[in-house]
Order: sequence, then C-alpha cells, then structure tokens
Amino acid sequence: MVKCIVSILVAALLLLGAVFGEFFSVEKEVSAFEEQVQLLYDKTQAEQATDSDATAVVRSWESRKRYLHIWIPHNDINRIDEYLAEGAGLIGAGEYAFALAKLEVLLCMLERLPGTYLPTPENVL
Amino acid sequence: MALIIIRTAVIFLTLLIVMRLMGKRQIGEMQPFELVITLLIAELACIPMADASIPLLYGVVSVLSIYVLHEIVTLIDLKVKGLKSFISGKPSVVVNKDGIDDYQLKKNSLDVSDLIESLRSAGYFSLDSIDYALYEANGTFSALPKQDYEARQNSLPFLIIDNGKFNGKNLSLTGLTRSFFEGILKEQRIASEKKVLVLTADGTGKIYLQAKGERYRTIQAQYPEGITW
Repeated sequence: MVKCIVSILVAALLLLGAVFGEFFSVEKEVSAFEEQVQLLYDKTQAEQATDSDATAVVRSWESRKRYLHIWIPHNDINRIDEYLAEGAGLIGAGEYAFALAKLEVLLCMLERLPGTYLPTPENVL
Repeated sequence: MALIIIRTAVIFLTLLIVMRLMGKRQIGEMQPFELVITLLIAELACIPMADASIPLLYGVVSVLSIYVLHEIVTLIDLKVKGLKSFISGKPSVVVNKDGIDDYQLKKNSLDVSDLIESLRSAGYFSLDSIDYALYEANGTFSALPKQDYEARQNSLPFLIIDNGKFNGKNLSLTGLTRSFFEGILKEQRIASEKKVLVLTADGTGKIYLQAKGERYRTIQAQYPEGITW
C-alpha cells in the first residue's frame, strides 16, 4: 500500500514537473524570441534592417529551438523555421515589403504558439 | 503537458465507461479498467515512436498518466466498496432456480445462444443440469451444477426456439418438424413461439421450455418413431 501511494506520488510529481517545465520554458523561449522578431519587424518597416540583423535573429532561433524540440511538436518548429528563413532571405535581398508579410505571419504564429499547449477547454476538446 | 495529461484522462474515462456499458461480452478475463489500459498503452507507446513529428516526451507523459490513473483506480477498487461495482462491475446471475434471467442476459449484451455456448465450454450441456450460472465481473463464466447433473445430460440438446424464433438449422438437424413443437407449446398453453424465451430438445425426448417471464419446465416428449440423436 505504502509502495503504491509512494509510486503514485512520484509519478504525479514527475508529471507536474513536465507540466511546469513545458509551461515556463515554452512561454519564456517563445516570448523572448517574439521580442527579437518584433524588433526585426520594426527595423524592416523602417527599411533599416540589414542582413546581419536577420542572421542574428536566425542564430538566436537556432539555439532556442534545440530546447523547444523537447516540448512542442517538431512540425510547429519547422513552420517557424520556414517563415524565418524566407523573411531573412527577403531582408538580405532588400525586399522589405515581402519580408514584412513573412515576419507578420511569424509574429502571429509566435503569439499563438504557447496558448496551443495550454489546458483550455478548446484545446482539450 | 497538462493538456496531454487531461486528454489522456478524458480518453481513459470514456473508454472505461464504454467498456462498462458494453457488458461482459467484450471483456473476457480482465477487469474493465485493465482492458482499457491494455488498449491505450500500446497506442500511446506506438504513436510517438513511429511519428517523428511528435516529441517522445508526449508518449512518456501519456504512459505515465495512464500509470497514475491505473494506480488510483486500483486503490479505489480495493478501498472504496461503493465505487468498486461502478469501476469493475459486479457478477450477473444469468441462471437461477427459476431458469434463465433474460433481463440479466440483455443487460450484458448476451443472448440465450451465448449462454448455452458458455455452459458447453464449462462442461454443462443441458440447461436443467445447473442451479445457478453467472458471469463474473471480469467476464468469466461460472456455474453451480445440480447434484445429479451428469445423469441429466446424456444426449446433446439442440436450441429449437431462441427468444421467440425457431432455429431452422437445428430443427432440420433433429429431424423433427415445426408443427411437432407447436403442438408441445399448445399442450403447455403457450399461445405461440413468440412467447418462448428458450426451448431445447435432446435425443431422449427431454424438452427444456421457458416462456418469457415464467419459470422453466422440463417435459418428456415422445418423438415420432425412429427419431433420436
């Protein structure tokens, strides 16, 4: 009986750890990256963004996504990869208007991403 | 992860309720919640393993959630008597001294032919050779035979009328006619076969008859000359 209760508690604690681990790390990483993309978006809007700005954001994402792969489906990360790569490429080519469209989608995705994994009724159902 | 845990718990509870509603036919030697866990574990372990787009942690968290649910349900099953019957079900007495309990059979999604099949598997070929028969909560079948049950089953009984309908195949195997049995029903003051829950006939002429909502009776009939099996 004691063994049973202890094993339930240990398993429940591990699950709780996973819940908090996911919540805080996804929220932290995604919102920090969102701020960087927002900065790049503002610079692009002002047509001041350079290739090195875009590369810095891409590098930041590369280091963050390694950690995020533990918590969220890889397909979601791949979609961010694609939009970011397109946006960075367009900035490098000086196509600011097209780059803005890509960055806007990226910002929208980053804004919604943490909410996708929250235990809200619409996500459960 | 909280989302995965909640979703796992929702699926677990849904499957458990559905398995309980399906009755003993679907279970077979496992408690309902054990069957639910067996069904879920394989899928939960397989999907993240095969689908590279899902983090492996999702599989680990789901399996761990199932483990916690299993332990909680086991604890409730052992400690809370009131909930034990809700989670695991309770035995259903399908045959008693009055005969077959049609209500209990229907409640467990079974019919008379399923009952006769279970009886044969347990070594009882004649319905009148047992006093009680029951399906345990885990779906296994148990029967309490009459003291002289071996003397009562010296020929294979055929199911002739099953829940108000003649079984044409068995009727032709016996070599007897439908009108022969209709005559027996008339003698027993039963208006038609629709009022009969079960009628079996063996090669010695012994007929087990139970009208719906009534106690069973056994009749010794005389078959037309030369008919036996």
